[in-house]
Parts: sequence; C-alpha cells; structure tokens
Amino acid sequence: MTSIKITILELGNWFLQPLWHSRWIILPVITSICVMAMLIGAVIAAPREIIEGDVQRLMYIHVPSAIISYLAFGITAVASAILLINGKLYWDAIARASAGIGLLLTFFALSTGAIWGKPIWGIYWTWDARLTTTLVLFLIYSSYLLVRNLGNANDTRAARYAAIVGLIGYLDIPLIHFSVDWWRTLHPQRIVFDIRPSLPTEMLIVLGIAFLAVLSLVLWLILLSATTEYLHQQVGKLSGDLDQMES
Amino acid sequence: MDNALEFMFAGFAVFWAGLFVYLLILQQRIRSLNEQILLLRERLKGITLNDNSD
Repeated sequence: MTSIKITILELGNWFLQPLWHSRWIILPVITSICVMAMLIGAVIAAPREIIEGDVQRLMYIHVPSAIISYLAFGITAVASAILLINGKLYWDAIARASAGIGLLLTFFALSTGAIWGKPIWGIYWTWDARLTTTLVLFLIYSSYLLVRNLGNANDTRAARYAAIVGLIGYLDIPLIHFSVDWWRTLHPQRIVFDIRPSLPTEMLIVLGIAFLAVLSLVLWLILLSATTEYLHQQVGKLSGDLDQMES
Repeated sequence: MDNALEFMFAGFAVFWAGLFVYLLILQQRIRSLNEQILLLRERLKGITLNDNSD
C-alpha cells in the first residue's frame, strides 16, 4: 500500500514539477489560444440571437466574467480565513491578487451588462436587485483593497483588517446568485446553471470555450499578481533586516 | 435595435481596455519590484565592501 502511495506521489511529481516550472510559458499560451477561440466563437461562430440580435453576443464575456468573479472572490475569502488563523503573510498576497482580478471581472460584468441593457431594456442602469447587489460586491472588494493598501506589504495589522473585509464581503455572493429568485427583477433568470439550460447547443459550446478562456486568464493573472505581491513582501522584509543591520 | 452592433463592439472594447489597464498596473508593480531589488543589491554590496575593509 505504501509503495503504491509513493509511486503515485512520484508520478505526480514527475508530471506536476515540469508543469509548475514552465507555468510562465504554458499559461500565457493556453490563455491566448482560448481567448482567440472565444472571440472567434462569440463574434463569428455563435448563431445570431433572433430577438436581441448581435448585442446578445456580449453574453460570452458577461456571464463567464460574473461567474468566475465568484471564484476569484472565493479564493480571497479562503486565503483571508487562513491568514486570520495562521497569520502567514503569503496568504495575504494570494487574497490581494485574487481580489484585484475579481474586481476586474466584476467591472466587466457590470459594464458589459450596462451596454447590453441599453438596446434591450432602453436603459444602461436600474436599481434592480441583481445589479445593485453586484455593485455592492464591487464596492466591498474595492474597500478591501483600499484597507489593505493603507499599510505596506508587510503590515500584518492592515492584512488582518483587510482579511476580515474579504471574508465578510463574500456573504454578498449568495445574495447576488439568488436575487433573481427572491426578488422580481429586470435581469433574466439563470439560463446556464440550471437543471436544463435553455440555450441552444452551439451557444452552449461557445459559452463553454468562453468560460475556459476567462478561467485560464484569471489563473494566469492571479499567479502573476500573487507572485509579485509575495516578492514585494520578501523585498520589504529584507530591506527591514538591512535597516536593522546598518543601525 | 438598429445600432445593436455598435453596442456589441463597445462591450468587447471595454473588455480589452480593462484588461490592458490591468496589465499596465501589474507591469508598474513589477517595475517597482525590480527597482527595489536593485536598491537592495546596491545596499548589500555596500555592506559587503564595508565588512571587507574592516
């Protein structure tokens, strides 16, 4: 049994180590391919929606951005919780990086939603439950980054305060998700994550590619951003040690 | 909905512009990290030279 475990671990290392070492080559390449496929799929390959017309193609950015922002903020919440428990600052680097990406995705969801809404609803914005709770999410995680940026990279107190905001902020996500069920809203009901998705197969395939594209983009950017934040922490720590040595 | 195509392009433009701005901010952060590392290297060199002269 132990030898089987060791073999599996060795195989895992054999497969994962080269993958991890070449992450800065693999991730940009996969992301570029997926994003190009998403654009071609969204603009050319996907069928034109009969009622809404071409503007409906914004769905291929709007829906993946909104859903994957939940994942990014989820990473922030989990990393914040771990930081609050063990106090290790590299969790703060991960939380900050994923909060930044989550904000970018929420911005995409809000802005493409507004642009999509104008020709369909006749207005860019309305204080609808789904839209308002999403805006609240954007403001919560903006304040998370503001709180975090009050201190420097190695400020444990600022990191802990920000972690509390990052953790509590996640409570808004179930509210966003179920807002279309709980309140009467202008925003359409769920069409993808339902028992029987109400989209034609061609649209579902392009939407799947779009999800892959946004997901790979997010993974790459979170990894890049978290590494940068972590290195900032390390450089700050070394600089502090040198100050002590010199004095 | 005659001009819906314009809205579609506006939406895609927002996506690219947002991504571009984010990457620009990230690049600035990496550049500042590089500057800090260079500064640290200079300080370390100074300390090593002082130690050798002692």
